[in-house]
Amino acid sequence: MAKWLTRKTIGAICLGVSLAAAAPSAIAVEDVLVKPARDTDLATQNLLNDAVDLGERIVAVGERGHIVYSDDRGETWSQAEVPVSVTLTAVDFGTPRHGWAVGHSGAVLHSSDAGETWQLQLDGVEAARIAIAAKEERAVALEEQIEDAPVEDKGDLEWALDDLMFSLENLESDLEVGPVNPMLSVWFENDSHGFVMGAYGMIFRTRDGGDTWQDWSGELANPQGFHLNAMTALKGGGLVIVGEAGFITVSDDNGDTWELRESPYPGSLFGVLDTDNPDEMMVFGLRGNLLISSDLGERWQTIASNSTATLNAGAFTDSGGVILVGNGGAVVSRASDKHPFETYFRSDRDGLTSLVLVGPERLLLLGENGVVHTNAAGKNF
Amino acid sequence: MSNPPTSEPLLERLIFNNRTIILIGFLILTLFLGYNAVKIQPDASFERMIPLEHPYIVNMLEHRDDLENLGNFVRIAVEAKEGDIFTQEYMQTLKEITDEVFYLSGVDRSGLKSLWTPNVRWVEVTEQGFQGGTVIPDNYDGSREKLEELRQNILRSSEVGRLVADNFKSTVVFAPLYETNPETGEPLDYGAFSKELEEKIRQKYEQSNPNIDIHIVGFAKKVGDLIEGIGSIAYFAGITILLTTLLLFWYSRCVAGTLVPVFSSIVAVFWQLGILRLLGYGLDPYSVLVPFLVFAIGISHGVQVVNAMAIEAAKGFDPMMAARLAFRALYIPGILALVSDAFGFLTLLFIEVDVIKDLAVAAGLGVAIVIITNLVLHPLIMSHIGITKGGIRHVQNHGEKQDRKWRLMSNFANPKVAPISLLIATLGLGTGLYFKQDIKVGDLDEGAPELRADSRYNKDNAFLIDNYSTSADVLVVMVKTPVEQCAQYDVLMAMDSLQWELQNMPGVQSSASLANVSKVVTKALNEGNWKWYSISRNQTIINASIRDAPSGLINTDCSLTPVLVFLEDHKAETLETVVARVEEFSDKYSNEQHEFLLAAGNAGVEAATNEVISSAKNMMLVFVYGVVSILCFLSFRSIRAVVCIVVPLGLTSVLCEAIMAVSGIGIKVATLPVIALGVGIGVDYGIYIYAKLERFILDGMSLQEAYFETLRSTGKAVMFTGVTLGLGVVTWIFSPIKFQADMGFLLFFMFLWNMIGAIWLLPALARFLLQPEKMRARAAAKAAK
Repeated sequence: MAKWLTRKTIGAICLGVSLAAAAPSAIAVEDVLVKPARDTDLATQNLLNDAVDLGERIVAVGERGHIVYSDDRGETWSQAEVPVSVTLTAVDFGTPRHGWAVGHSGAVLHSSDAGETWQLQLDGVEAARIAIAAKEERAVALEEQIEDAPVEDKGDLEWALDDLMFSLENLESDLEVGPVNPMLSVWFENDSHGFVMGAYGMIFRTRDGGDTWQDWSGELANPQGFHLNAMTALKGGGLVIVGEAGFITVSDDNGDTWELRESPYPGSLFGVLDTDNPDEMMVFGLRGNLLISSDLGERWQTIASNSTATLNAGAFTDSGGVILVGNGGAVVSRASDKHPFETYFRSDRDGLTSLVLVGPERLLLLGENGVVHTNAAGKNF
Repeated sequence: MSNPPTSEPLLERLIFNNRTIILIGFLILTLFLGYNAVKIQPDASFERMIPLEHPYIVNMLEHRDDLENLGNFVRIAVEAKEGDIFTQEYMQTLKEITDEVFYLSGVDRSGLKSLWTPNVRWVEVTEQGFQGGTVIPDNYDGSREKLEELRQNILRSSEVGRLVADNFKSTVVFAPLYETNPETGEPLDYGAFSKELEEKIRQKYEQSNPNIDIHIVGFAKKVGDLIEGIGSIAYFAGITILLTTLLLFWYSRCVAGTLVPVFSSIVAVFWQLGILRLLGYGLDPYSVLVPFLVFAIGISHGVQVVNAMAIEAAKGFDPMMAARLAFRALYIPGILALVSDAFGFLTLLFIEVDVIKDLAVAAGLGVAIVIITNLVLHPLIMSHIGITKGGIRHVQNHGEKQDRKWRLMSNFANPKVAPISLLIATLGLGTGLYFKQDIKVGDLDEGAPELRADSRYNKDNAFLIDNYSTSADVLVVMVKTPVEQCAQYDVLMAMDSLQWELQNMPGVQSSASLANVSKVVTKALNEGNWKWYSISRNQTIINASIRDAPSGLINTDCSLTPVLVFLEDHKAETLETVVARVEEFSDKYSNEQHEFLLAAGNAGVEAATNEVISSAKNMMLVFVYGVVSILCFLSFRSIRAVVCIVVPLGLTSVLCEAIMAVSGIGIKVATLPVIALGVGIGVDYGIYIYAKLERFILDGMSLQEAYFETLRSTGKAVMFTGVTLGLGVVTWIFSPIKFQADMGFLLFFMFLWNMIGAIWLLPALARFLLQPEKMRARAAAKAAK
């Protein structure tokens, strides 16, 4: 059938060259939310944005809907079946089998087979509709609240309403264009509860494994709509989200309510790591800024990374060291907290977005040109 | 035969009775045309070397103005031989070179880029936004601190791999060029520009700073080198004339019989060049070879005149009578042979490439002139001078001395030898057919295929490819959109989709377009965060992201934007598969918003040329063999004669293609004419030999006896002609222009092998095909009628 079609097409083209020139065919290239990711050998040589280490398996996501997984610590890779070809930005697994990947066009993908096949659970259009409905509801509630409120509180509430209406207008005008905004991070507790979040402060929560999503932006004090870049859970159960312009918010009730932390640094934060200690975390971002807090973000201590490279991802080693990777091929590491940080710029200077500790003294680095195996300092073997 | 024949053709009387007037006329014409000939200019016009009718080229030329900023630039890599670029001396020299290039006429100064120009900057994201500066630190003073700052700035810029080599041992001065000078309106003189680069940049600075090497690449430099290569052909002309003169003297042992044919042939060359100039032609790298052919053909026909005169003079005729008799004997077969040459050349008109058509015109013109100079001027001069005694004696002695050799060679027609010859020929054919399977279309070597692999240009090119992130083979797909729509989301996504499709093919290294620019800048505008490396659906963001896109990627009214596809090589298979995939994509997705048009870039031009060559090749073969066969049939009225003459040519053609396959010479614009020229000129040998052979058979001789007499009377002239023609082209092998060398090598082979085929294989075929009894019977029957 396909062959017959092709032949027919060729015949038609031969017959109608002049016609074809006058009226070109009207097929458009499929939208990235509809077009499945192409099966390609280049997925591990192209931009990969995030990876998750499930022990048995490593799963990484990247440009053009690429999701790849490896069962031999990154030596060989298989490409997963993905129904979209948007740029994917982050991946997290709630259980070894249930994982979520997020990306541009507001795409949220789910896998229930340890990352081999994926289904689209949410896209930017649906996400925007959910957010608009929630905000309209909040606006109505807020208007009622203003009417009932004592005069001295009215001013603040009206400001809040203004902010809400402004972000509502933005959402509506964005929706006219389409699913314009990217998801930038994902965190799942188990196979049912998790958050996806991204540009301009959008954040959604599910408690049924992604069947339904709730707009959770109302629970975060983020009136300026800063991008939400990363989220993690700390020892002791605290949750933390970091974002643009030093945005840090924490939750001690498993994500129901969120508390804004006063930022120790005005620049953007791109990552947050948990440690072995309860309520302790390390955050990092623009120009090598590195901060640590042991009390769920109440007080912060600046740590000299001795680098000005923007840091995108990091990991603690078993021996108490830290390794961070960033733009310009920067690998910033220290053997323990007794040692100062040292920076090594890889000679290819490819931007690095993520890393996995694949063995003793062995790193798997991910970045703009896919994966590379290096030693603990980020140098090629 | 010793009585002077009385019947004088009208033409002969006309010429020989007015010889003074005619000679004066020749003198005036020669002075006039010679004056024009020396003023002819080299001309390596790019357009004339490509198939202008091919749809790819039509598209390319239609959008030439839109793509102007894409292709025409030179890159000057300044390499530090010892140490790296971070020394005061190196940076000083680089500054001087940058300044010098700035003032070269033809350089688009606003686009000039080097570490020293203010448009080369580093940028860094900070909490407040961007910060940046020129890569050369403020208050640069050559101190160690400032050089270290320079190193940091380079690392923070994105110029490593572009302006700065990966190993920090060289940097590039990038100079975009104007096709036409905006001040004077004159087109860029590639020859002069290239010469300036050599003198004012390469020589000057390699001398002033012995620690640097300069490497220059770019279309303008390549064309400049080609033009210089055309000039060096003059030396080859000198060598060819010298060798031919020596050979001719060895052959004739007569000073006049040597110098007059050489002189007449040189006159033919002057006429040919002079007329070409008057017709408005220049000398391109192809047509510059025609004078060699004209000279060689002139000599080989001149030899016939000298030979005939010597024979007549030996019979006792005075120079005037000897010249007249020689003319009378030769003007009809001579004109016939030359006309068949001309038909061979005309088949070149099938190739839709201007240089080749010009080649056909120039060669056809040359052959016409040879008829005049070597069949009229030459005997006229000789009628005044005459053959020397030495020359006559040489002819008289020659016959008997050589007989034993001719006797031995006549065995090629022997019934015992002929089957062996045919067996060898069949084996040769089989071998040829086997090796010929590997023949490729197009240029096969790396770098600029017009120049030799070890040429300065190709070494420079290799240096840049090794040390910088660039590919030499670029296919450009033009994406046409409505005005101001070239950066719409749909357009960028379609381009991105095409690029990804192509990058997944073997043979494609990478690709670039506005889509890449948009992704990179969108990422940069989002604090350098790789998660934003995507084409935004928000048109405002796209517009911001392409605001500073390189001018080559977007035309003035935003209606055309190119996709650059970097290929691993320019082999025909690579080009074919990639181009086919693009066409498939274009058929499927071209619409009112975006139309995908092939093709520009050197790979696009080569893909088009290859298609034209492939389709012209078979047509040309059919035509050239058809014409030759028809001419032979008209001359001899016998299919068997046609087979005897044409089969050896076919064997040579097959062996020629086998040699091409083995020595890595592809079928291309330059080598396709070789087949037409080789067959068109090569058929002369067979015609001469068969004509004599038939004559002697009809006179009642056996085949072998007839062949012996054939060799005796014409064998030497045929062999001499083969060697002369071979000499005429063999010097090209040393040309700096690669395709001239290929042409010289192949033509040398074809001229010699066609001669050998005529002498060795023709009689063997005759042994099986010709039936002397029947031939005589038929001739008798015809005479009786």
